[in-house]
Amino acid sequence: MFSPKDIIDVLAQNVRQTMSPFGIPRFMVNTWHKDQNLPDDGEYLLYTGLMYQFAPYIEKSTHYLESFEDTAKARYLKYARYVPGYLSGAGLALMTRARKKSEAGQPLKNVVRLLRQSRVNFGYRPDLDHYSGILLYDMGDQKSFIAHARKVAQKLQRAKINKIITIDPHTTYALKELFPKYTGAHFKVVPYFDLLNLGPQNADLEVTLHDPCFFGRYLKVSDIPRKVLAGLGIRETRIRNSKDFTSCCGGPAESVSPKLSSRIMDIRAKELAEPGKPIVSMCPICLGNLKKAGADARDLSSLLVQHI
Amino acid sequence: MSTIDLNFEEELKTFCENTALACFNCGTCTAVCPLVNDNFPRKMIRYIQVGAKDAILENANELYKCLHCGLCTHTCPRQADPGEIILGLKRFVVANWRRS
Repeated sequence: MFSPKDIIDVLAQNVRQTMSPFGIPRFMVNTWHKDQNLPDDGEYLLYTGLMYQFAPYIEKSTHYLESFEDTAKARYLKYARYVPGYLSGAGLALMTRARKKSEAGQPLKNVVRLLRQSRVNFGYRPDLDHYSGILLYDMGDQKSFIAHARKVAQKLQRAKINKIITIDPHTTYALKELFPKYTGAHFKVVPYFDLLNLGPQNADLEVTLHDPCFFGRYLKVSDIPRKVLAGLGIRETRIRNSKDFTSCCGGPAESVSPKLSSRIMDIRAKELAEPGKPIVSMCPICLGNLKKAGADARDLSSLLVQHI
Repeated sequence: MSTIDLNFEEELKTFCENTALACFNCGTCTAVCPLVNDNFPRKMIRYIQVGAKDAILENANELYKCLHCGLCTHTCPRQADPGEIILGLKRFVVANWRRS
């Protein structure tokens, strides 16, 4: 296990300096939208919170953390705070494969296609699309989280944003529950799958759904993706822990202990693999972790796009 | 040797809605916790109840194994919200680190 204090210090410094937990400049992270011809105005603002875009960097940094955990080198992590966020972030960006970065944007492109198909009136503003700060909240760095959340909320308020479409569970929870509580900013926040109207299809397929904790337990929206899937003729297998009793993928522990995260992930991956059907989820952290455990897991948006 | 701080329960209210005293230590939270580890989070809640502030600070790193998955809160028969209490303890610990 790494020292949580060292991890928090580095994360908080990166967020403070660059608005990103990894310190990676935003122009290097958020490129998926460039070929999408998206309007900047609409009834809703599409808001990614950069979580899907971060997935390859999480994979890369966790890979390094894994090799240093419980070794003598782990104690050098505390010196990382002396490296400017942009510098370490740019280094991480350069070490991450271009193919992985490009793949990370695909679920977001799928979501755009699904929303267009459902005739949702939305726009996208890359200048407003920021990381929500949720990891600082989870780690208990309340002061840093609130300072960051206020910055993000103020930008949205100044742009007179009222309605927001989110994609991942972490950003959804932050904007829907935490921003009103800690910044006083209230938005109507809707996960993309709640706005889909894809018309009946008969895919005749069975999948195993993994509910992310924030969607299943905290926000209680598990029934919505199930209805969307049922409309396309996609059935769900029965597993032991699902919906509001879902099991964690282990992702939240990967920054302080990749070993612990991996142990929890293996248990969940086995549960999900039991019915022998493709595994579907809607969180980049869960998906990254499940794939690491060797699970045949895919994003909900890619399954939906395939069957419309 | 750990000392007892009778004001700790009150001090923690700065960091979260402290519902630790509602807990009757049934252990459901520990049984459902994906960590399956050393009486977590029940042990930490017990520490709050008895004012063992030093014991919490000495075991602070243990708090960061918590996944914030919310299963303990979801199943707590006393609505003691163990997940929120652990998050409050993390905030308390971070504030302590920053002060020292």
